[in-house]
Amino acid sequence: MLDSLVAANIRQRPVRALVSVAGVALGVCLVMLFTGLARGMSNDLERRSSNMRAEIIFTRPGSKELMTSTVNLSTKYVEELQKIEGVERAVPAIRYVSQGGRGFGLEQVEGVDWDGYAAINNMRLVVGRAPQGLDEVVIDESKARNNRVGVGGEIQIFGNRSYRVAGIYSPESGARIKMSLAAMQDALETPGKCSYILIKCTNPEEQATVATRIDTMLPGNKIQYTSEVVLNIEKSIPYLGVFLKTLVGLAAIVSALVVMLAMYTTITERTREIGVLKALGASRGYIISVIEKEALLISLAGLIVGFIVSFVAGNLIHRAYGLVFEYGWAWALTAAVIGLGGGALGALYPAVRAASLDPVSALSYE
Amino acid sequence: MRTILKAENLEKTYRVGSFDVHALRGVSLDVEEGEFMAIMGPSGCGKSTMLHLLGGLLTPSAGRIIIDGEDLTTATDAQRTDIRRRKIGFVFQRFNLFPTLTADGNLRLAERIHAGSNGAGDAARRRDVLRLLQLEGKMHHKPLELSGGEQQRVALARAVVTNPAIILADEPTGNLDTENSAIVLNMFQEMNYRFNQTIIMITHNPEAAAMCRRIIQMRDGQIVAPSPAVQI
Repeated sequence: MLDSLVAANIRQRPVRALVSVAGVALGVCLVMLFTGLARGMSNDLERRSSNMRAEIIFTRPGSKELMTSTVNLSTKYVEELQKIEGVERAVPAIRYVSQGGRGFGLEQVEGVDWDGYAAINNMRLVVGRAPQGLDEVVIDESKARNNRVGVGGEIQIFGNRSYRVAGIYSPESGARIKMSLAAMQDALETPGKCSYILIKCTNPEEQATVATRIDTMLPGNKIQYTSEVVLNIEKSIPYLGVFLKTLVGLAAIVSALVVMLAMYTTITERTREIGVLKALGASRGYIISVIEKEALLISLAGLIVGFIVSFVAGNLIHRAYGLVFEYGWAWALTAAVIGLGGGALGALYPAVRAASLDPVSALSYE
Repeated sequence: MRTILKAENLEKTYRVGSFDVHALRGVSLDVEEGEFMAIMGPSGCGKSTMLHLLGGLLTPSAGRIIIDGEDLTTATDAQRTDIRRRKIGFVFQRFNLFPTLTADGNLRLAERIHAGSNGAGDAARRRDVLRLLQLEGKMHHKPLELSGGEQQRVALARAVVTNPAIILADEPTGNLDTENSAIVLNMFQEMNYRFNQTIIMITHNPEAAAMCRRIIQMRDGQIVAPSPAVQI
């Protein structure tokens, strides 16, 4: 049963308790939202990339990094690649990464020849038709749902340039917005160029042999397996792991500092009461436990509030901006450890200080 | 009669800046079980220092204190705390109740600390104390909802409920008006009489001291006029 002194102390200063709860909740939110976003976006990207049925990606050295918009590969390679034994189809594409349409996050746009691209990736148009004009795009179902836009609607790309939605496709694969290769080349003023060429092998099991042939026939280029690109998505975002770890550390520090400050002022305010506890014969362990229980109770409340706020905020952000949040148990556990551990550690110094107070001085404290 | 407290040649010296202040200069005292004793003297004569030493809140610079057979002076800080928990009850001039807890909560807190991890206190003792101090109807009030006299009765109940060997009271009527002082002093007498409770009380009030069986006068850190115990 909870010590009544602990509960009474929290009730006595509800505003301070709430501020402490908010501090812990902030730390928990930081961890949950950022890791949820990183995981959600990464998994979303991975899911979409895994729908890519082509086995090989052909690029110039240094290009085809996930977050780059390099357009330096001549489309003339398509003809050369089509001639190589084992290549069923070669489809050029441009991937362009820009700031999200609402100024938040990143947005990818692909320029592809729809028929060939759709054929090798088993994609189909759910409604509408393929993009034909230089101002037309097709979008996937998630994009249509999140942006509340249908066929005939308009979306802004490249800043404020309007494109008409000609069709909606499924399943999700690669960028959510696709226009014709010609339209993208026109927009980027890169005629005859593309970012990469997707290669569908006649026999997927012979992709290694085909890759060797391509390397022999067209040396000096970069040949990747799509499966490797999918596996490396999280690694391809520079320093994502370091960023997340830094964030977790900061969250722990925020939680610990807020609780420490709250408990420190509590101890100062209750110096006389601590003197009375000592006069009653309360041991150091008892005094530390009273303060730690109070901190843990505040931290637990902060943890619960933090989780609730994270889920609600993630949901709202997803609705407003289409960003995907996926919360994992491991990070939730980390957030819990940070919330509770940070609170307990933050309270430890004030608790030890209280337990070490001289009883006579504490009793005469004004 | 059993000697429940024995103090031998107690000295206490404080260092204030570069000066030594001798608060106690060789005080010796025997207190028998069931005694109700007053310590009187002018401000700064060492009364409070002596009470703090007897309660294990301070350690003497020299001398020895035995409480109910246990030597306070050779005990470690943790051991002194434990002796305080088991054998001593304090009553302060400013009541020092926990303002966030009800009167009942204050008593239960003392019981919990006294019982340690062994569980609840003595329910029968608790009932008797509350009845004697006429607090049954006030137990769910917080200290600020009680009068000064009632607060001091709760403080007395808190000190007595754990059945300590000795109660140390530091000017318990110092913050009370005449009427409430009389009530509280009567309660002290009742505790002493009914439970054979040993009480040492610091007071400036001669009327309060007159209710005790023995009065000790202190001056300049020494006992100057011990009176013999009065048999009641």
